[in-house]
This record gives sequence, structure tokens and C-alpha cells, in this order.
Amino acid sequence: MSLIHIDGLSKHFKVLNRREGLGGAFRDLFSRDYSTVKAVDGISFDIEPGEIVGYIGPNGAGKSTTIKMMTGILKPTDGTILVNGKAPYDNRIHQAMVMGVVFGQRTQLWWDLPVIESFKILKEIYKVDQKTFDEHMALFNELVDLSALYSRQVRTLSLGQRMLCDITASFLHNPPVVFLDEPTIGLDVSIKAKIRSVIEELNRTRDTTIILTTHDLGDVEALCRRIIIIDEGKILYDGGIDKVTELFGAYRTLKVQIEDFSEATLEAARDSLDHRFGPDQGITVACREEFWTNITIDQARTPLSEVLNHVLASFPVNDVRIVEISMENVVRRIYDGALQ
Amino acid sequence: MRPYLAVARGSTLVSMVYRFGFLAAVLGNVVYLAVAFYLWKAVYGDADTIRGLTFDQTYLYVALGSTLFIVLKTYIDWSLSHEIREGIVAIYLIKPIDFQLYMLASSVGFFLLSVVTVTVPTVLLITLVFGVSLPVSPALALFPLSLLLAFIINFCFDYGVGLSGFYTESIWGISTVKDTLVLVLSGALIPIQFFPDMIRDTLIWLPFQAVYYTPLSLITLPEEGWEHVVRLGVQAGWAVILLAAGRVFYHQAVKVLRIAGG
Repeated sequence: MSLIHIDGLSKHFKVLNRREGLGGAFRDLFSRDYSTVKAVDGISFDIEPGEIVGYIGPNGAGKSTTIKMMTGILKPTDGTILVNGKAPYDNRIHQAMVMGVVFGQRTQLWWDLPVIESFKILKEIYKVDQKTFDEHMALFNELVDLSALYSRQVRTLSLGQRMLCDITASFLHNPPVVFLDEPTIGLDVSIKAKIRSVIEELNRTRDTTIILTTHDLGDVEALCRRIIIIDEGKILYDGGIDKVTELFGAYRTLKVQIEDFSEATLEAARDSLDHRFGPDQGITVACREEFWTNITIDQARTPLSEVLNHVLASFPVNDVRIVEISMENVVRRIYDGALQ
Repeated sequence: MRPYLAVARGSTLVSMVYRFGFLAAVLGNVVYLAVAFYLWKAVYGDADTIRGLTFDQTYLYVALGSTLFIVLKTYIDWSLSHEIREGIVAIYLIKPIDFQLYMLASSVGFFLLSVVTVTVPTVLLITLVFGVSLPVSPALALFPLSLLLAFIINFCFDYGVGLSGFYTESIWGISTVKDTLVLVLSGALIPIQFFPDMIRDTLIWLPFQAVYYTPLSLITLPEEGWEHVVRLGVQAGWAVILLAAGRVFYHQAVKVLRIAGG
């Protein structure tokens, strides 16, 4: 049987449509005009024990709402959800024992206390016996050198150190499933790599099922064999990572700042690239923020270095940046039929 | 029970981190004790007793009342409503714990620690500097129990106000009303004997006086006997009723989050 079973799950919120200005605010006191937002709109999937699943999508796609339903914080409007065979919202306290949760933006550790005190409190809360506790702490110590942080107050930890503590803490009671909500948000590259290796190691040694939500496609590439992409409350893609990696792995965006930027410059860049590489070579030119010309390149068809050389030779360029394709871009490309 | 003991232990450790907070509270209280001393001296003038209370009894009552105010304050109303507004409350909802007991346990540390760090210097000051004697009587033996019940009742007030954070963005108004109601109706500012008879007889049955008047009278009115037992019974009754009410309120309030979203 699957560890998580979700069928036709929906969550609708009623939100107040606020009117503008002082007069509008005053009218809002008396007549209220609500509209329904379908944060999650009829999704279904099954997750098997031991999987690491990337649950991704742009901001406001419904990721957090789904996580909150799986953890029993929110009650679904409609549909079935079973975690380890039970509905999370009806058995909150019992279900809490079988799951670990990390919200990247918040900590479950005691802010004012040394790290080890939080682990001791969690040990009692999750009724972990001393022997298991010692074993787990030894493992965490091996993975992240936790003992070096034992006596440090949580609030004096760096964001990365705190996140490592939070992640290991969520594994303390050896739950069959752990939800990691944006575990690498705001972290630098080296600590991200560390966190990924810790997650991978814990999944491997404990066979823990991990649901990972993230904005960072690098997390997904490094950890997940399966991803579920959600947008506007609906599942856009559910399947192996290979096809998706192919898609976003090949794309890079070259951002250039051309001197005396105007609409005409954008046009000129487009024409010049078309002329040099020919049409349909996977190059698109757009302007998303002032002064920056974004050139998205499909590296499978045109090498980025050639495009860069051409642009530098043809235009007076002040600044250059190369960025990986964003979550929003991946979603847009899937809508455009990229996975068909 | 063990999880909550661990939480209580943790909250005691947190309180020790903020030791300068205690120092500030004690110093502030010293100023208040001095002001109250001269204020009530002036009120008494040449009179030996007012409403059957001697100056020593009244002053002891008022001084210990302001000390109790520091000791009993949980700040749960502010921290809880803040956690609800910021969505931090989700952290508790994913844990296998009873929310009310968890909150009670996490306020008990400050209470236990401040009983020692605030009360001891205050009692020394009252007896040694202001020369007011502390009557020792059998009733004093009931004081720890009564103080614990007072703490639970006051916690319930703060917890209830904190939970209203599920319904409103700002609890400032509600919290201020609660503080004022408790301070005046509990006899924390003025002994209940000074109220008109009719009001006093009503107040005796309300939960407010159980926070200050019931424990304080064990010290300042040693000559009373069965009245103490009745008040203690009323106090225990309110503790049970308010804890139960808090549970009902929580289950209603948390639905706002669980259905409407956080």
C-alpha cells in the first residue's frame, strides 16, 4: 500500500474582496463581497515508501496548502488524503508521531536555548527512548558535526547551521515520512550542497519517504527521481525527473545590459541573433526588467558561448549575467507543450 | 506527562536567559512599593483601621499584590497572538502535544523562577526596610496551593485572549481590557474590603478575585478560618471551569485556521 494516498483533493478559501480607499474600507464593514480561491483543485497522486518526491511549482501554486493538508494543519474542502493509512486532520496527535516536518522559514527549535536542549525536549515530546536517542545523535553528529553546535544558542546559529539542526531534529523520532518545505531557501551554494547530502543520506539509511517542496531546481535535480509540478492548484506534471531535467537542464538565460537601452536595442539584438544563428535555434529575446536584455538559449541547439561572443562583438555591453532557468519559466514551457 | 515536564524545564531555562528582565522587574517593583507605602500612610493618617484593616495589613496586601502581578504574568496573550498572526502556530499543530498543556507548561518556567527571584527580595524589603511584619499562621500552609491555582486561572485569562488572535489581527484592545478588569476586580490594586458591600459580595464569586484576593488573604487575614477554605474551593472550581472553557475555545478557534487557512 502506498504511504501517502491523495485522491481528488481540493482546498478552497473564501477571501474578502476589499474595496479601495477609506470609503471602500468603510463600505467593507457593512457589505462583504467574498470570492472563492481554489488553492488546491482536485489533485491525485500516490507516494510509495522510501521515495524522495520533489513537489514544485511557482509561488502561490498550492504547494504549501497541500503540505499543510498532509500534515493535518488544514482540513481539505473535498477529496481523500491518507498518510500512513489515516486521515491527518482527524487524527492530528497520532499522525504527528509518524511525520517529521521542517518549514524552511520557521524553526521548531527553542530560539533562546542551546541546540541540545531542543533535542532533549523533542526526545520527550516524541517519546524517544534513551538508547534510540543516543544512536540518532551519534548519526547526526557523523553527518553534520552536530556536537560542535550543542552548546550554541539557536539564535546565534547561521541560517545554514540552523537548517541542518532543524532537518536532523525532524528525523529524531524516525518517522516514516518527512516533509521539507523550502529547506534551502536563502542559503549559499556550499551549505545547500551539505543539506542535500544530509537529506540523501537520511533517506538512504532510514528509508524515510521525503516530500520536498522547493523553488530551487538544483535541489530537485540533486535529490529527486520523481517530481510533481503543480500550478494554480492543479497537477501539471507527475513523473520521472529525466524528461524535466532535459528540459530545464539545457536552458540558460544570458542577461546582458546593453548601453543606451531602448525598445530599439531589443529589436536590434533580436534581428542580429536571428541573422547570425538563424530562426528556430532555441533563442528567445525578451526584456523582463529595465535595462536588462534576457536571451534564453537552448544549449542543445546553440552553444551559449557562441551567443555570448556574438553579443559582445555586436553591442556595447556593460554587464553580463548567466542564470539558470527559473521555476516560472519551466512551468511556462510545460504549458507551451514542452513535455508532450 | 513527561513531554510537558520537559517543556516546563525548557521554559525555566529560557527565563534564566533573560535574567536582566527580572532585575528590571524587581527594581520597578521597589519604586512602586515605596510609592504605595507613602500613599497608604497618607490615606490612613491618624486612623488605626479602615474597613477593619490596619495599615500593616493593607500595605502588606498591596505590596504583595504588585509582586504577584509580576510573578503571575505569562505574556502568553501577546506571544500566542503573535504566533498565530505570523503562522508560527503551525509548528505546534504538527507536534503530538495537547496545545493548552503545552502553553501552560511553557509559561510555568517564568512563574516558578520569579516566585523565587522576585518574591524573596520584595519580602525582605517590606519587612526589613519598611518594617511591616509578616504574620505567620496555619493559613500560610495553604498559600503554595492557592498561588498555583491563581497562576492557572490567570494563565486561562491570558490564553483566552491569546486565542482571540485567531479572529482578530490585533489583541491590544482585548488585552488591555483584560488587564484592567483583572487588576481592579481581583483586588490587586485596592483590597476587596474597600469596595461597597454589595459589589464586594458579588466579586467574591467571580474568578478575578481568585487570582489575587484569595492567595493574599491567606497572608494578610490570618484570623479568618473557614472563609479561607470556601475561597480556596471557589478558586479550585474556577480553575477547572476556565481550563475546560479554554479547551472548548481552542477547538472552535483553531477551526478558523484549519478551514480558512493560515
